[in-house]
Amino acid sequence: MEDTTSFDHQLLKMLQSIANEGIQNVAYGFSDMVGRKIKVGNPTGKLVPVLSIPELVGGPDDDAVGIYLRFEGDLDGQIMMIVPTQKAMELVDLLMDEPVGTTEHLGTLERSALGELGNLCGTFFLNSMAKSTGASFRPSPPAVMVDMVGAILDIVVATTGFVSEHVLLMQANFMDGSRSVEADFWVIPDLIALQALFKKNMGS
Amino acid sequence: MKEPTSVGLGEQAISRNPEDILVAYGLGSCVGVIMIDPVSKVSGLLHAVLPKATDGFKDSSYKPSKFVESGIEQLLADLIHKGAMKSRLIVHLVGGANMLMLSGVGSFDIGNRNLEAAYAVLNRLNMQVTSADVGGHLGRTVRIYVADGRVTIRSAGQKEHSI
Repeated sequence: MEDTTSFDHQLLKMLQSIANEGIQNVAYGFSDMVGRKIKVGNPTGKLVPVLSIPELVGGPDDDAVGIYLRFEGDLDGQIMMIVPTQKAMELVDLLMDEPVGTTEHLGTLERSALGELGNLCGTFFLNSMAKSTGASFRPSPPAVMVDMVGAILDIVVATTGFVSEHVLLMQANFMDGSRSVEADFWVIPDLIALQALFKKNMGS
Repeated sequence: MKEPTSVGLGEQAISRNPEDILVAYGLGSCVGVIMIDPVSKVSGLLHAVLPKATDGFKDSSYKPSKFVESGIEQLLADLIHKGAMKSRLIVHLVGGANMLMLSGVGSFDIGNRNLEAAYAVLNRLNMQVTSADVGGHLGRTVRIYVADGRVTIRSAGQKEHSI
């Protein structure tokens, strides 16, 4: 990969390994939450330019659900989980163990379920990051929004303030039997803190 | 029909081609600044992300259109260069929503700060805002039809309407 960012190759490798492990961890948490075995397939982690996010998620005008939380501690950052509205309703069906197509709108209950899912994903992911780096983090409560992809992503773009032009993207499929729902997570850590943490861990 | 010209984050577009539609998709806390000269029929759209550049931003990746303050100044200068007259310009402001409204997630209201910056710089430039569809908690898509200067807005889950 062209190193056009302040990330270096080793740091990216570490992030990818944290991402993979984090997503596996999320699957365990997810299974506990719904009381059935949920598998997670094809976890990938890569760095993508902030400005390419809308195209990656669909179109900036498409409706989607964003679940957002921040974390603070040895490292500050934010996590955005974004799912197209249709997929989010399938996720709710999967959470509630209802046939696909049962959920037709996202009311208070549905949003709360998605918020809980985001909370869980964030917490399990952070646990895995804490384990890998020896650092500790506290996540904020989740915020759930149903809006246009572009508008949801403004939160990410505006808060990174173009300081980090790249963010860590993780993608995975949640699977329950033959049902599969894709979700994207964006993790935007404070890059300077992350590099310091990384150097400490390398023991250099 | 010609594809609309998408104006992405931190970009601006100017056109006097009557077939053009300029569009900024999914403005959340971002602000869309629209300036139209109804006589010379030149229209401009800015999609600014943050209120203003601090010193830290003025590096190699610095682009005036990322910021409300420098973006409006650049948009105006470029429009005049393309034949617009400042005194004739119709100005619309769109966006600047507060996307995060839950407690515990903080309230660094960038949308509001963007709007304040826009009004401040327009005021300094002696320019009036003709109409504003701003604030609230929902994203907006804005389109400018260069042919007749019509401006439409659509929010998530709602129908497109003219302003």
